[in-house]
Amino acid sequence: MGRVNAFGSRGREGAQREKFNAIFRERSCNRKHRIRNAGWPSMRSLTNFAPSTFEERGAAVAFTTPVLSQTRVRKNLHEELEVLVSNLSEGRGVYVVPWKALPMAFPMTAHDRMLQDLIVKAEGCSPGDIRTAVLEAARCGLAGPLAVEAAEAALGDDDEQRLLINFQLIAEVLKAVGLESSEFLRCGLGSEEGQKLTRELMLKGAKKLSIEPTELYARVAELAALMQPIGLTSSPKPGRLRRLMRELANFRDSMTEWTDGNPSEAAPIGGFCAEVAEHTLNHARNVVGQFDQAMEAFETLLRQWDAKRTVVRRAATRLSWLMDGWEFLIATWAEAQGKSRHEQDLAVHELFRVLPLLPRAESASDQVSAADQVMAANRRSVRAYVDWRSGQLDMDLVMRIESIKTRAA
Amino acid sequence: MESQALLGLGTKLLDIDEQRFRQVVGLLEHMGDHPDVQKTFSLIRPRLVELKPRRRPTMKRLFCEPFEDLFEPLDRSAPAPLKTIERDVVNGLWPLVEAQIGKERVKSFSGALRPVAEAPDGPDMALAFWTEAGEAVALIAGQFEAGRFAEDLKLRLTPDRVRAVGDIARILSIAGPVAELKAVLAPHPVVRLHQDHLAGVQEIGRKVARSRPEALKIFILLAAARLADPSLLLGGLWNMELGQKSGDRAALFLELSGTVITQIEERSRVMKQAPRQSADRLAVADLAAGLVASLEATRSAMEQSRNSSFDQRLKAVRGSVHEMVRSQILEGATGDILEALEEMRDGTMNGAAPAQAAETRDQLLRAENHARALRKCATIADTLGLRGELKAVTQKTLSSLTDTARQLLGRGAGSATPASGSRAGFTAVRMIELIAGPAEANQIMNDVLNGKP
Repeated sequence: MGRVNAFGSRGREGAQREKFNAIFRERSCNRKHRIRNAGWPSMRSLTNFAPSTFEERGAAVAFTTPVLSQTRVRKNLHEELEVLVSNLSEGRGVYVVPWKALPMAFPMTAHDRMLQDLIVKAEGCSPGDIRTAVLEAARCGLAGPLAVEAAEAALGDDDEQRLLINFQLIAEVLKAVGLESSEFLRCGLGSEEGQKLTRELMLKGAKKLSIEPTELYARVAELAALMQPIGLTSSPKPGRLRRLMRELANFRDSMTEWTDGNPSEAAPIGGFCAEVAEHTLNHARNVVGQFDQAMEAFETLLRQWDAKRTVVRRAATRLSWLMDGWEFLIATWAEAQGKSRHEQDLAVHELFRVLPLLPRAESASDQVSAADQVMAANRRSVRAYVDWRSGQLDMDLVMRIESIKTRAA
Repeated sequence: MESQALLGLGTKLLDIDEQRFRQVVGLLEHMGDHPDVQKTFSLIRPRLVELKPRRRPTMKRLFCEPFEDLFEPLDRSAPAPLKTIERDVVNGLWPLVEAQIGKERVKSFSGALRPVAEAPDGPDMALAFWTEAGEAVALIAGQFEAGRFAEDLKLRLTPDRVRAVGDIARILSIAGPVAELKAVLAPHPVVRLHQDHLAGVQEIGRKVARSRPEALKIFILLAAARLADPSLLLGGLWNMELGQKSGDRAALFLELSGTVITQIEERSRVMKQAPRQSADRLAVADLAAGLVASLEATRSAMEQSRNSSFDQRLKAVRGSVHEMVRSQILEGATGDILEALEEMRDGTMNGAAPAQAAETRDQLLRAENHARALRKCATIADTLGLRGELKAVTQKTLSSLTDTARQLLGRGAGSATPASGSRAGFTAVRMIELIAGPAEANQIMNDVLNGKP
């Protein structure tokens, strides 16, 4: 069954969107508003916010408080953190809440208060910085023992990848300058003998490349830090983001299969999620392609470091932004498998709420307008995230988010 | 394939990955209606229910469509419909129906299996098939008394089974209204009953009352089976105008009330029988909350109808839910939660072995469930007369947890972070959160970390 691509032309809707963005940006700078509603009435979703860049879109934070789950954090013009919360009155647009005011605006779980503190203490708010804070917060135990295990496993995996990538990069240096590396490969980096041998070989390598040894070490170290989440094509275990890309492809396939021939009103929304996944994946593949190309010409990369490092750094940053937020969606969808059709419909609506649309500057297609069209055609009342009788947090929902967190760490 | 191999395959199918499972189900379907294939399907039915792979439409499946909501649940702990139909009865009945109608004639209705886009007359054909099948089933049911078909059914003919076959005949005779009912009460199960649901049931119910009054009761039971909690329908039923005489309406209401209460009694009995040590406390609390909701809905329906004939039974059920919550959730809650925390503290400090760490984690998960169960009970404690007892248990547990948090996190006051603070201390804060909510937990965490007394 053929599907119509939802990314249509922008038209009048697009013009309105431009106007809305202009207002929004103005309002973002207005310090008088502690909490600002930047939009007009419509459905509740972060998808009807149309940022230009990844930085403006913000990085997804794995909060366990349902209303804040996967909400985005960014820095404003004054380098202060602020968080984007989808409109609580089911209206269009998003609230921009100063980071410090968050606990006053929403009852947060103890885990989220800890996470909020850790994010403040961290220097930046890139997906990498947020991930570090999320894993640290999960490790302390405030999201339960399974989240502790998942965070420790993820941190352990990071350490393993760091060691592996260092090893591989040194082997690449040696290969690039034509030095025999079999002895080094045999000893590895773990032993004293191996480290001594590595130092000797790297000295020789630096000489051949006509680079200062300290500079060569610094370049390899910088490259290792950039490469760690991505990994090399030759890695025995693909890097975290490559694995995530593979899972995203599976998510797209699973969602497309679910959508085909499904009469549910959630099916077009699921189809849209699959299309956004496909677009994201295409962009990610391009970035990884550039990355791998740079690594293939490793000697050129080392020699023309000043020019090439920017390309590599930009590619690494872009890939982390492209994949940001998808872990939660993939884990949510995986959890919905095997559940009833109705629960799967609800899961698809939940995915749509936090779908990481590509910013306008990153993609030729206008995903926000397309999301608007999907939403307009599939209106439904969105579930509230608080217990309607008491205004208390819905602890069952918190429990579900925590269980997804253990899969998405 | 050998029958032994097929049955062996059935048990293996419960463990293989999802994609392969779907492939094998597809292949098994192509093997047709062989008894061994049917047995294999019975073995893997729990997983079929869980994964819901797309099944090939068959005439048998179409035959079952009107009464599928009454099938007994595979999960014994799940609430059963007010009236159930055994799958084995249908498996035995279908060949008889096929023979009665004639295989060729059954095949002539196969257009009903095609999508509406391909066969626009499919729904009409399905309706004609159900009518004819209903007549065949009624004929078969009529012959049971004369002793015919009893052996062909390949089952011991109990009164319940005879009743189930009669119900099937009645449901098939109103298959059209049943299809409408399914559309009104969708998706299954309906968690909250709205006015438009009730209006829909009333409108279709009137049609049934006019054309097939004898099928009205089973129609109402089918409507109840579409709901997450059948007692929800009781409240609406009293005011529902189905075009019956008032005496008939009261009789129908009484009958449904009796069936609902029997089911509530049954559910509370199942829970009472569960061994106390192994019980999942949160599941107990969920069930108790569900039972209290059913009791309340039934009680208010009884008040509306000024009917006191079920008062004693309702009181007895309330008593047993009270006892269950008291003994399985309140009793020993403080001890269980603190013990798990103590285990964790010792394990973390002594660097526990992996097996012991896994045991500690499981104990902690059980304690978390117990804490959640306590919180859930707060919503039903008043109704069950357990308010004071719950308050005492909660306060005692919270006070001990606060002391633990102070002891473990207070040492590095002002500088406690996940790296320097104790995980057991944060887990105590988490337990407080699960029992009393985030506001209290955050307050205590702030006080402790900032060194406030």
